Amino acid sequence: MENDELVQNMLLELRRGTLSIAVLSQLTKEQYGYSLLKALSDKGLEVEQSTLYPLLRRLESQGLLQSDWRIVDEARPRRYYVISAQGKAVLTKLKREWSLMAETMKQMLT
Amino acid sequence: MNLIDKYIAEVGKHLPRKQRADIEAEIRSTLEDMLEERKQANGEVSEEQMIALLKEYGAPREVAESYTGPRYLIGPRVFPIFEMVTKIVVAVLLGLALVKLGLSLANSSLVGIEFLEKIGGSILELFGGLITAFGNIVLVFAILERVLPAKEFDEEEEWNPAELASEPDPDQVSIGEQIWGILFMAGFLVIFNLYANPDAWYIRENDWNFLSLRFTDAFLSYLPWINILAILEIALSLYMIRQGLWNATTRIINIALQLAWIVLSVLMLKGPDLIESTAGFSRIGNLMASVTLAIVIIVSSIEVAQMAYRLMKSRPSPPYPVMK
Repeated sequence: MENDELVQNMLLELRRGTLSIAVLSQLTKEQYGYSLLKALSDKGLEVEQSTLYPLLRRLESQGLLQSDWRIVDEARPRRYYVISAQGKAVLTKLKREWSLMAETMKQMLT
Repeated sequence: MNLIDKYIAEVGKHLPRKQRADIEAEIRSTLEDMLEERKQANGEVSEEQMIALLKEYGAPREVAESYTGPRYLIGPRVFPIFEMVTKIVVAVLLGLALVKLGLSLANSSLVGIEFLEKIGGSILELFGGLITAFGNIVLVFAILERVLPAKEFDEEEEWNPAELASEPDPDQVSIGEQIWGILFMAGFLVIFNLYANPDAWYIRENDWNFLSLRFTDAFLSYLPWINILAILEIALSLYMIRQGLWNATTRIINIALQLAWIVLSVLMLKGPDLIESTAGFSRIGNLMASVTLAIVIIVSSIEVAQMAYRLMKSRPSPPYPVMK
C-alpha cells in the first residue's frame, strides 16, 4: 500500500518532467486546451486540466507558444495555442536530449 | 447564475486581478467543451452530472493555485535574510533587556515585591518589544517580497569552494580570549589587594600634595568576594586552555561564575561609595567605579547569554565514533 503511493508519486514526477516536451510536440498544429487534452489522452498521456492549463500559460510566457482567442465554426470563443519559432528550436534540442536520455535509461535498466 | 458561473466566480476570487479575466474565460471555455462532450454522449446533463464534472475539474482554490503557484507572505528567496535579521534583532533586544534589568535592579532594594516587579516588568517589556520588532520585520520583508523584481535573487554569484571559510567550532576555546582574561583578572587581583592597604595611596601626598584616593571600608568588605571570583575565573581559564573545548559542565560553571560577577557588581553599584578622596575627586572616582561595574555587568551578561545559547544549541554528536 505504502509502496503504491510512493510509486504513484514518482510516476507523477516523471510525467511532469516529460509533459513540456509532449505538449510542445503536439502543438505543431494549433489546438485549444480541451482538444489538446484529448489529443494527449488519445496517445496515452492522461493529464489533468489543472496541470495542463498552467503549463500552457508558462510555455507561452517563455515564448515557446503563441496563443489567441478565436471563434471557429461559430462555436464559443476558444484560446488556440500553437508552437512558436523559438518553441520549435527548443523542441528539436529537447527531442535529441530525450533520445539520449531514453537510451541511457534503457542501458541502465536492461 | 448557473453552477458554472458560480464555480468560475469562486476560482476568480483566488486569482490575481491582472490575470483574472483571462483565466476565467479559459476555464469557462474548457468547462463548456467538457459539458458539450458529455451532452453528445449522454443527452441532457443533469445537475448531479454537472456537480460531478466540476468536482472532476477541481476545488476552486486548488484550480486557482495551479495558475498562481503557492503565494508567500515571505517567500523562499528572501527568507534566509529574514531569518538572519530576526536572529540579530532578537539577540540585540535580549542583550538590551538584560542590561536594562541589571541597571534597574542596581537601583532597587533587590528584595520583596519591588524585586519581583522589576523582573516581571522587564519580562513583559521584553515580550512586547520582541512582538513589535518581529511584526515590523515581517512587514518590511512582506513588502520586499512584493516589490523586489523576480530576478533579483535568481542569479547566483559564481562561488568558489576554496573560498569557503572554515567552519568555526562553537565549542572551541579561544586561547587568546582566555589569556587576556587571566591577565585581566591577575591585574585586578594585584591592584586591588596591593592598594587595599590605605597607606599605599598616600605615598606622595605629603611631598606633592598629590591626588589621594583610597578604597572605602565598603569596598574592602567586597574584596574577599572579588578575590574568590577572580581566582575561580583564572582557574577556569587555565583549565579551559588545557581542555580546548567547552562542554556542558564547564559552560554551566562559567554561567554560574558570570552570574556571581553580575550579582556582586549589582550589589556594589547600589551599595555605599567605593572610593573616597581627600582632594574632591570622590565623585569622579565613584563614577569611574560605577562605569567599570556597568561594563562588568554588560560583559558578563553577554557571556551568560552566549554560553546559555550554546548550551541549548549544543551540537548533536556525529553518528559515528570520533577519534580524539
